[in-house]
Amino acid sequence: MFEHLDEIRPALKKLVAALRQDYAYASVLASDGDERSWSISRAGSAISAGGRDGDCGFVVRVFDGTGCGEYSFNRFSEAMIPEICRKLKENLTAAAETLPDGVAPLPTPIPADEPACLKKESEYRIHPRELGDEEILKRLNAVREKGLETAGILDVAVRMNYRSYRKIFISEHRDLDQSILWTTASMVAFGRRGEEVKDYYRSFSTLGGAELLERLESGVDDVTHVVLELLKSEPMVPGEYDCICDPETTGMIVHEAFGHGVEMDMFVKDRALARSCVGEYVASPLVTMHDGSAVDEVATFLFDDEGTLSGDTVIIDRGILKRGMCDALSAARLGVKPTGNGRRESFERKAYTRMTNTYFEGGTDTPEEMIASVKYGFLLENPSSGMEDPKNWGIQCMVNIAREIKDGKLTGRIFSPIVLTGYVPDLLKSVSMMGPDIQLGGGGYCGKGYKEWVKVSDGGPYMKARIRLG
Amino acid sequence: MINRIIDAIRPVAPAAWRIEERKEETAELFFVKKQLDTRRSKDVTYYTVTLFRKDDAGRIGSTAITLPPEIAWNDLKKKLADACYAASFAMNPGYAMPDPVQAAAEAKKTPLLEKPLAETAAVMSRALFEKDTHPSAFLNSAELFVERKKTRIVSSEGTDVSWTGGRVNGEFVAQCKEPEDVEIYQDFSYDDPAPEALSALVAETLSFAADRARAQKILKSGSYDLILTGANVGEILSFYTGRSSARMIYPGYSRWKKGEAVQEAQEGFESLSLSLKASEPFSEEGIPMKDRVLLDKGVLKTIHGSNRFCRYLGEEATGDYRTLRCDNSGSLPFEALKKAPCLWAVTFSDFQMDPMSGYLGGEMRLAYLIEEDGKVTPVTGGSVSALLLEKQGQLLFSKERYVSARYEGPYAVRIPAVSVAGE
Repeated sequence: MFEHLDEIRPALKKLVAALRQDYAYASVLASDGDERSWSISRAGSAISAGGRDGDCGFVVRVFDGTGCGEYSFNRFSEAMIPEICRKLKENLTAAAETLPDGVAPLPTPIPADEPACLKKESEYRIHPRELGDEEILKRLNAVREKGLETAGILDVAVRMNYRSYRKIFISEHRDLDQSILWTTASMVAFGRRGEEVKDYYRSFSTLGGAELLERLESGVDDVTHVVLELLKSEPMVPGEYDCICDPETTGMIVHEAFGHGVEMDMFVKDRALARSCVGEYVASPLVTMHDGSAVDEVATFLFDDEGTLSGDTVIIDRGILKRGMCDALSAARLGVKPTGNGRRESFERKAYTRMTNTYFEGGTDTPEEMIASVKYGFLLENPSSGMEDPKNWGIQCMVNIAREIKDGKLTGRIFSPIVLTGYVPDLLKSVSMMGPDIQLGGGGYCGKGYKEWVKVSDGGPYMKARIRLG
Repeated sequence: MINRIIDAIRPVAPAAWRIEERKEETAELFFVKKQLDTRRSKDVTYYTVTLFRKDDAGRIGSTAITLPPEIAWNDLKKKLADACYAASFAMNPGYAMPDPVQAAAEAKKTPLLEKPLAETAAVMSRALFEKDTHPSAFLNSAELFVERKKTRIVSSEGTDVSWTGGRVNGEFVAQCKEPEDVEIYQDFSYDDPAPEALSALVAETLSFAADRARAQKILKSGSYDLILTGANVGEILSFYTGRSSARMIYPGYSRWKKGEAVQEAQEGFESLSLSLKASEPFSEEGIPMKDRVLLDKGVLKTIHGSNRFCRYLGEEATGDYRTLRCDNSGSLPFEALKKAPCLWAVTFSDFQMDPMSGYLGGEMRLAYLIEEDGKVTPVTGGSVSALLLEKQGQLLFSKERYVSARYEGPYAVRIPAVSVAGE
């Protein structure tokens, strides 16, 4: 797909060669994408073929005497190369010449440009385009209709979307080419308690295609049942409790509470406490944490947006912080190897250190054994949001459901909404049991602060820990 | 390109169509402390085409696609045909298209639109560092985006409008290393360059960072009168824009009706008066935008939103608004509003108001515990949560004002007896 990129590939190489005449380093990332979403709810049905990820354009990166500079554009031909070079130079010069007094360039060694060449496509069983709009909407509607059969349900909103993209990275020594297809789906059930509208959602994701619909179709009864339970939920009594996290909640802790703190562009800025903890115990010996493309999920790719090949990064090994994840510029500044985590929201945005597929390894304890071990505590399910605090390793995560456990048994009482707070290492060091099976989910996007949204997945096994709830 | 798209649409013969052309330019600067990390610029053009299809029963389906500027003719025709075909599977009850408008809106005479973006970036980056002079706190890092956007909307109904807008936005992190090494994140967004406002925001945030560095984790769980300030006041009030949107009312998620009191103040507290402020001359559907009264003394005056949902409800289509203004002039000066005892929550890790459930909450990174005896202690940690539906009759606002691109209105609000999960 995206044969257009094959046609302009020689011109892209000429662009890099032209830029190399003026700059010590030059690269171009070209991307093309196809995205489509289908949704059905009481608001109606909709198909959209434009969105956050459906970008088609180019970004060049160069190094001049001031440091790193970039220019993003979405019109390109060989004839435009002189104009692109001129605009880039004008913009970089204007920015460098008008800096405030006392502001100097940040010293940055030029990242390594070791030779690499690859071309690869991800696999899928059913491309959503082959299944077609009519069939997809029909199946989504059937899921919705089934959900609405449950008495007391205000609405069931169902959605599926896919993104197929191709990216080409060219520098003096690199020629990389990848095509990826991922698909996600979700359903949200709504119930009403007076003026309060409660909702419960489930999302599904795959590095693949419309075969995902089968998983969506099997989950509808659970969603409607739980939202009705939520209508009877009670407010949480604040306190510290023994908690069992479902794999989704484990994933949120992995990603929000810990993962953002080991993004190494934060090390460059002196914004991450983790920098001073490398080589130390930051978690229970039961905890081993990975990030990368060793698993097939929505954030799996072969090279990142700076042309670094992806891999499997072990962040925590049996409780000890081994290293962080890193983009190319931060790696050059810190004198370490990049890990393939330099990602952009799109060709229009800067690359930052970003997570990909981030998860805890499994252990040996079953969820039933975990519940049986709790005198009084909660089973936490359905995370709704989280926010990072790499500087202070504070936790702010929200989950939709806490199921009460008393004397080793679920009582049937549920509490909602729940705020998890506390200090990340305290929580991770309190991990006392890990389930054997890991599950990853990539239904959502991750922001850097409040912007720069990229597709990620996270997860792990059922996990028992001591957590402050409010 | 617009004429090319129109030519390609003709053989597809949709019931209606709309084309939005967006040309965006930016100048972007990224700083780490007082060092320049990266310079970036952007120059992109997009075309979003929405095709509408009607069936024999009068139902309408639509599909939106985004096209790059140099799409090949055959690809363009194929994409449009595909989109029009797809629209036949997403049929919804029929509705009228927006009324046609022809206008080339006069571009605002602001430095942002008249000068090179790099010049504005220079002015704002100087403003950013001007107040980076605090004795113990400093700017850890900052990002600055200066944007200019030209938009044109053309439709089959005869609409042809265009305008140019711009914005300066970004974020910075203030850090203080002693006695505790802490930081505070702050974002900003201005429709016009506002160097004085940015400098003042930097100075205030540096001061908060210094206070957070000496803040204690001593907050006990319990019930506190909560003071919220700045953008957090706007976040609370976003409950009313959410619940009054046609998108929430049409499917029945919100039961609000125009003319009804949706917020009734108890004696001694304030009825809400809110307005939707037009920050662009037209919506993305080409609907003329104007300032509108949303709530007048707690009574809902406007149901707002996109053309389709407003038409379904028999309401005038207003377009989607970005800026909420609170017109309450406030009961008390801020100093009196935060009369002891209370908890002034200054910054959160992420403060959220959910318009569906009505819950507000977040984890505090800096708050001031103001006790009966007048003692003021900076505190950190702990989370607040409350159901606004239970608290909205007991709101008090400050007389001081706050202005940003998303919220204008009183600087502070006091909400009684909010649950706090402390240490």
